[in-house]
Amino acid sequence: MDPKFTEVSQIFQLFKAAFVRKDFDTCIKLLSQLKVMLTEFKSLPPLFEEMPNAIQERTLARDIYEHAVFLSVKIEDQDALERDFFQLKPYYTDTYGLQPSSQEHPILGLNLLRLLVQNRIAEFHTELELLPSSALENPCIKHAIELEQSFMEGAYNRVLSARQTVPHEIYVYFMDLLAKTVRDEIAGCSEKAYDSLSINDARQMLLFSSDLDLVKYIEEEHPEWEIRKGFVFFQRAKESAPCKEIPSLQLINQTLSYARELERIV
Amino acid sequence: MAAAATMVSSAGGLLAMLNETHPALKLHALSNLNAFVDYFWPEISTSVPIIESLYEDEEFDQRQLAALLVSKVFYYLGELNDSLSYALGAGPLFDVSEDSDYVNTLLAKAIDEYANFKIKAAEGNDESVVVDPRLEAIVERMLDKCILDGKYQQAIGMAIECRRLDKLEEAIIKSDNVHSIINYCIDICHSFVNRREYRREVLRLLVEVYQQLPSPDYLSVCQRLMFLDESDGVASILEKLLRSDNKDDALLAFQIAFDLVENEHQAFLLTVRDRLSSPKLQPSESVQSGSSEPDSVRDGNATSTEDVQMMDGTQVDNSVPHTDPNDAIYAERLTKIKGILSGETSIQLALQFLYSHNKSDLLTLKTIKQSVEMRNSVCHSATIYANAIMHAGTTVDTFLRENLDWLSRATNWAKFSATAGLGVIHSGHLQQGRSLMAPYLPQGGAGGGGSPYSEGGALYALGLIHANHGEGIKQFLRDSLKSTNVEVIQHGACLGLGLAALGTADNDVFDDIKNVLYTDSAVAGEAAGISMGLLMVGTASEKAGEMLAYAHETQHEKIIRGLALGIALTVYGREEEADTLIEQMTRDQDPILRYGGMYALALAYRGTANNKAIRQLLHFAVSDVSDDVRRTAVLALGFVLYSDPEQTPRIVSLLSESYNPHVRYGAALAVGISCAGTGLSEAISLLEPLTSDVVDFVRQGALIAMAMVMVQISEASDSRVGVFRRQLEKIILDKHEDTMSKMGAILASGILDAGGRNVTIKLLSKTKHDKITAVVGLAVFSQFWYWYPLIYFISLAFSPTAFIGLNYDLKVPRFEFLSHAKPSLFEYPKPTTVPTTTSAVKLPTAVLSTSARAKARASKKEAEKANAEKPSGAESSSTGKGKSSDKDGDSMQVDNPADKKAEPEPSFELLTNPARVVPAQEKFIKFLEDSRYMPVKSAPSGFVLLKDLRPNEPEVLSLTDTPSSAAASNAGGSVTGQQGSASAMTVDEEPQPPQPFEYTS
Repeated sequence: MDPKFTEVSQIFQLFKAAFVRKDFDTCIKLLSQLKVMLTEFKSLPPLFEEMPNAIQERTLARDIYEHAVFLSVKIEDQDALERDFFQLKPYYTDTYGLQPSSQEHPILGLNLLRLLVQNRIAEFHTELELLPSSALENPCIKHAIELEQSFMEGAYNRVLSARQTVPHEIYVYFMDLLAKTVRDEIAGCSEKAYDSLSINDARQMLLFSSDLDLVKYIEEEHPEWEIRKGFVFFQRAKESAPCKEIPSLQLINQTLSYARELERIV
Repeated sequence: MAAAATMVSSAGGLLAMLNETHPALKLHALSNLNAFVDYFWPEISTSVPIIESLYEDEEFDQRQLAALLVSKVFYYLGELNDSLSYALGAGPLFDVSEDSDYVNTLLAKAIDEYANFKIKAAEGNDESVVVDPRLEAIVERMLDKCILDGKYQQAIGMAIECRRLDKLEEAIIKSDNVHSIINYCIDICHSFVNRREYRREVLRLLVEVYQQLPSPDYLSVCQRLMFLDESDGVASILEKLLRSDNKDDALLAFQIAFDLVENEHQAFLLTVRDRLSSPKLQPSESVQSGSSEPDSVRDGNATSTEDVQMMDGTQVDNSVPHTDPNDAIYAERLTKIKGILSGETSIQLALQFLYSHNKSDLLTLKTIKQSVEMRNSVCHSATIYANAIMHAGTTVDTFLRENLDWLSRATNWAKFSATAGLGVIHSGHLQQGRSLMAPYLPQGGAGGGGSPYSEGGALYALGLIHANHGEGIKQFLRDSLKSTNVEVIQHGACLGLGLAALGTADNDVFDDIKNVLYTDSAVAGEAAGISMGLLMVGTASEKAGEMLAYAHETQHEKIIRGLALGIALTVYGREEEADTLIEQMTRDQDPILRYGGMYALALAYRGTANNKAIRQLLHFAVSDVSDDVRRTAVLALGFVLYSDPEQTPRIVSLLSESYNPHVRYGAALAVGISCAGTGLSEAISLLEPLTSDVVDFVRQGALIAMAMVMVQISEASDSRVGVFRRQLEKIILDKHEDTMSKMGAILASGILDAGGRNVTIKLLSKTKHDKITAVVGLAVFSQFWYWYPLIYFISLAFSPTAFIGLNYDLKVPRFEFLSHAKPSLFEYPKPTTVPTTTSAVKLPTAVLSTSARAKARASKKEAEKANAEKPSGAESSSTGKGKSSDKDGDSMQVDNPADKKAEPEPSFELLTNPARVVPAQEKFIKFLEDSRYMPVKSAPSGFVLLKDLRPNEPEVLSLTDTPSSAAASNAGGSVTGQQGSASAMTVDEEPQPPQPFEYTS
């Protein structure tokens, strides 16, 4: 057995132990160590050098990255989640000869959810298209798809109630975040739809339980709103940018010069 | 799928890794991305900002790798500027030796960029332009690599482009074949370096390199020095060679002198001549020689040559017993080289050649004469022009003499032209010019009764005879100009003076002409304008401003036109320097001045194929409102492109199909000018349809242009020449043809057989230097649209196509060399035959077949024997030899036809020095190995000095036959007879003046 491989496996065992202990600081440290070590394996993407124990190495690397994804959810670090997911992805898409991982679908679903939370709908659909049709049936992924549909329809209550039906415990973190995304969306809409709203209506609309929360939200997210006489005034968000002027003079000149050139047929 | 299995489908993972905090991971990601960038650049391009921030991160130790990656991505995105700036950031990681598209593209870009910087820095004189040292480093790395790899030509190209003369020098010196590399360098320097100043710098460097070489190629060095106008350098080289003990060095010096003369840079040659130090003699002799030389220079009225007097002086020196022999030899050589540098030796030899080899066909002229209607004065004078052109420089005026009655129909300006035509026929006849024209010249006193037209014409003729070598005649012309106020005579005198003093920038002469200009007479003013230009050719003098001011002032179109052309002439060859003036002229309200602006563009950028000039001309050709300007703009293209004749037909082909006849005419002449004498197939194809255009003047232009292109091309090499000749004949004979095209056809037949079929139109010398006289001649010639007498200027563009081998005494020894091609390819056209007139027609050239060769040798030996028997009296023997060799020639001609019938055409022929070698034939010329003479430089044509390998054997000289020995009985003949006996030089070989004839009107 390759000593490097053994070393990585050992550290990975330590990492798993720490993960179970929820000793996340140790985890982060170990993980970074693991990643650096993984760069030395030539059999991993993107190099894919064929070696006798390539399969084992790739399986181990995939395992490590899957754990890394879960770790980043636990420490609520979305950037790390994104990074780790992308590093993991080649193991799902490009690596032939590996046993499918049991964690594949939950992680893919997780990623979809993340995109939904970050309101990156375009990328969400791109990811979706890349999935085989069989995967769409998987509850984890189906969950994300349904959420997106409700979200698009504006059925925000359905989105919020879906929190109760998460297919995987790890999704809960994102469902909380999703509520915030929904709120932002509503806030964006109301801004366009109303000149002002009473504080009460606004609170209901934005799904806040108390006026205090609402005021705090407005201060943090929309300082341009004004609270006055029990009403929230949405400052008519900056006047719409003037439509781009048609460079008419330039066009006229150009056309005239073409006409002139035509006349000069040699 | 095996391939797919070993390939990631996305770079997303690696890109994500870039965001990791651990530097090792970033490094891993970067290096992998760098390896895969060729496939994943679209994905990476979205993450460029991250990579850029890595590059900008001062603490990150792999910044250069990041820069390289960004650079590659930008390269794929097509953002070469960004790509280059990051590649520079990549430092050593950017590997110039890598052979990939990326590296090649960026290197090209880098070099371009660098060159741009350098050019900007050099041209703007702007010190603030700081070149990025990293850019410089890359270019230098590239240059060094090229030099190391032995790719010297690339290195030289880049170094010149980037203005790195230091690297250029390095490349040249390190190259294995310095001589060929330098020649390569000179070539690209002339064809690709557009800025004159910079070109001079490069050439100066080359000269320096040359001089460091152990065995410098003096011929080349002197050519460069001439381009740089450094007469001191040339003079010192010549002097060194002349003082050498080795006779071969002296031969080389003579050769250099001849080569310099070929470039027709009169002012330069004169300074070189004056810089040559006079021999160190004992006081008494130095006084003697010192006094005789200036005398001859000052004594402008004397038509006898300096040669004669200088020769006398040196003979005296030689006879003084206690002269140092070395100095004596030097003095003798000096005399010779001064003769060469003044151009007299070559003119004299060319004259003899043209006379002795004259193959003009009088029958053609006779046909023309008979077919032309009596009352049609245009065609009448066209015939006179054609005759003059046909016999240019041959001194043969038989036709005129035989048709005095007919000639007398020329009146007024036609008379002017007829008289001036004599000047063309006798052009180069420096010694006898004055006495030849004497009967027609204005008589000192009260205008002696001669017609002012013939007097003016005679003065113009004198100018044509002395074109570019007018030291002797200048004073006389000035006097004539000052002593008359008849505008016709002033006209002739101005033109004559301009020609004789071409490019000398003589202020006194200029003032004289200016006085004529200020009389505001249209006829005289026009000539004065042109003349001022001729005088100031290529000086870019501020006088142009003066001329321009007067052009605005005067009312006469003719004067404006003359001045416009004159101004254009002053900026000849100045390229960028002329831009302000050109701008000023081309923006003028007056179309005539714009028209002058076109000429200014043409002449300033003559033969440079400068893109900017071409663009400007094309613009005017299609956009100006005046037809004259458009015509001239197209015509001017011919001048800009003459160094690259293959280009012209392509560039003007569209214009030749223009709806505007003026543009078509211009296109025809442009092709005629730039492809003159080349017989280029594309040019002929372009002109052919134009010769049957619907508009008469387009036909005229096309016929003339066609003749210029086909000059000296034989029917065997292009059958269309024969077709064209028949077409000309048909046009001339056709009663219903328009006068304009008839005139074109007559002129065309003159040009086609110009100079006794022994000259071609050449605008470039063999060393690719522009021949100023020729270019100026053609430019003024193209003015004949407005003023027919200017047609004669075309004679300035004629250069004899001859191989003339010379021995140490500058005499022409008889020796043979080989033309390795079928004789029929380059032979003279067959004379037209009409049974009754065959006696007037000369026999075809002797064609020596293989068997004839032995015979020729035998007869040559015979001739030598015959010569050896004769006692060697200086003159009598030389003429005797001439006669005997003549006889040999005759006997061979007689023998030959029989041989020809018997056997198929041989694949080569033997030519006898001096021989006609047309430009296309030059590549077939070979020198026989067992020949007695060996050329100093192996040039296939022109004047070539010969090394005598068997100096002890007696030499047989040719070219000693004197023209028109029958005329020796008249007064002029006796004068030459005296001169002949007085000088040991070849005066007795000179043509005698023909008998004067009078108009019987």
